Amino acid sequence: MPVQFLALLNPATGTGENILSFILSLIWIAFLMVFFLYPSFGQRMQLGYMLRDLEKKLQKLKSIKDEIQNITVDAVKREGSPEKDPSKDIERLSEFFLIHPESMDPYGLVYKLEHILETGESVYEAEVARLVPNATEARVKTLTNLFEILRGINTLYRVVRHYYLLGKKTSNIYLVLQIQMVLPQLIEIAESYRHAAVAFSKGQPIGDGVGVLVVAKLADGLEKNRYEIVKDTVIQELEFENRKVFVVRAAGPAGTVGRPGEAVKRLVESLAQQPKLIVTIDAALKLEGEETGKIAEGVGVAIGGPGVDKYKIEELAKSRSIPLHAFVIFQSITEAITPMKESIAKAADVVLEKVKKVILEKAEAGDVVVVAGVGNTVGVGF
Amino acid sequence: MSEPTIVFGSRSREKTPQPIVFLKCLSCNTENSRPFIEGDYVMKVVNSEKCPKCGGTQSKIVNIYVPEKKESK
Repeated sequence: MPVQFLALLNPATGTGENILSFILSLIWIAFLMVFFLYPSFGQRMQLGYMLRDLEKKLQKLKSIKDEIQNITVDAVKREGSPEKDPSKDIERLSEFFLIHPESMDPYGLVYKLEHILETGESVYEAEVARLVPNATEARVKTLTNLFEILRGINTLYRVVRHYYLLGKKTSNIYLVLQIQMVLPQLIEIAESYRHAAVAFSKGQPIGDGVGVLVVAKLADGLEKNRYEIVKDTVIQELEFENRKVFVVRAAGPAGTVGRPGEAVKRLVESLAQQPKLIVTIDAALKLEGEETGKIAEGVGVAIGGPGVDKYKIEELAKSRSIPLHAFVIFQSITEAITPMKESIAKAADVVLEKVKKVILEKAEAGDVVVVAGVGNTVGVGF
Repeated sequence: MSEPTIVFGSRSREKTPQPIVFLKCLSCNTENSRPFIEGDYVMKVVNSEKCPKCGGTQSKIVNIYVPEKKESK
């Protein structure tokens, strides 16, 4: 009987004398039994592979975070010459947060959000200034941007680590799968943060500053008067082909976006003559496959961010029936926060000509036009 | 909370792009370029650099960007 059984297990010889074949068959049966009796065994194996992959990528995120932290520490030491090691304070600031207002009752939400954002900005800037008491105001603003990058990468790392550890703890393949699917994009964002940290630590212009670059070129040589209208935001008065042009932009070359919404609102309310047109210029996110530096023209307010500035200009334009014209320059999220690329800088010259053409076409001699250049003004002066 | 344990070797990272500064001489309008130096910004008037063409000492930074590689046809 055993001989017959062995023979059955040995299709090669049919004699039942191959002991190796018998052992292999037993292993094979045992393996099949594991899959039959323990159906989630395959899933467990897959989870193991996924967790290992996630662990490698998480380690990469950590190394990028550490590199940005080192850049920040170096920048603080260089600018502020602190007596004690600033690493502890930098770590504390990287955990800084803002709590968005409650939206169950949406009444006055925009102004509540504005208040929180402005308070947060002031508090954060003051904390950074305390770390670098010898730095100029412009450097403090640029360093604040650097701290915000550190805050961003820190949050990204903590969230990914949370899902990794939760997935590992609960052996939940679906949880791990979700974070594994989005991780390549998150790594790309982290790499952009790394390049952005270098750009901000050195004060180099970034892709997001293209709107400000356009208006800086528009005002170059034509400026008659300049004044700060709201925090970090200036008005430049120009005379262009007998039209009075008011340029609104963040004060450079420090790294700030200013408050273009409030600035346009206060400017228009203070003018004796109603503007014929409000033009906004900003960087916009391109879709995959689209060319960097592509220009598009339309109607509306071209301002990204939390929406406070956009809301203010829209409300003002509606109440006074002022036409809104917008230009956007397309770029990826990476290009927006890393040193400005040639195609984006070249697009600024094209947009400049288009803005001039719009002013000439839509406003007559003696008319007033408001042109707002939106974006981070790091590395772009007057 | 346990930290991930795998330690990476020194894997080559994408280098941070280095921008080029374009200066316009205020005497002869010639455009010159050089690598970015900390403190440079667009519209900055530079008084310390001589124009290679006319020897003028005042120039203005008109552009700062990372040049892109031209595709070969």
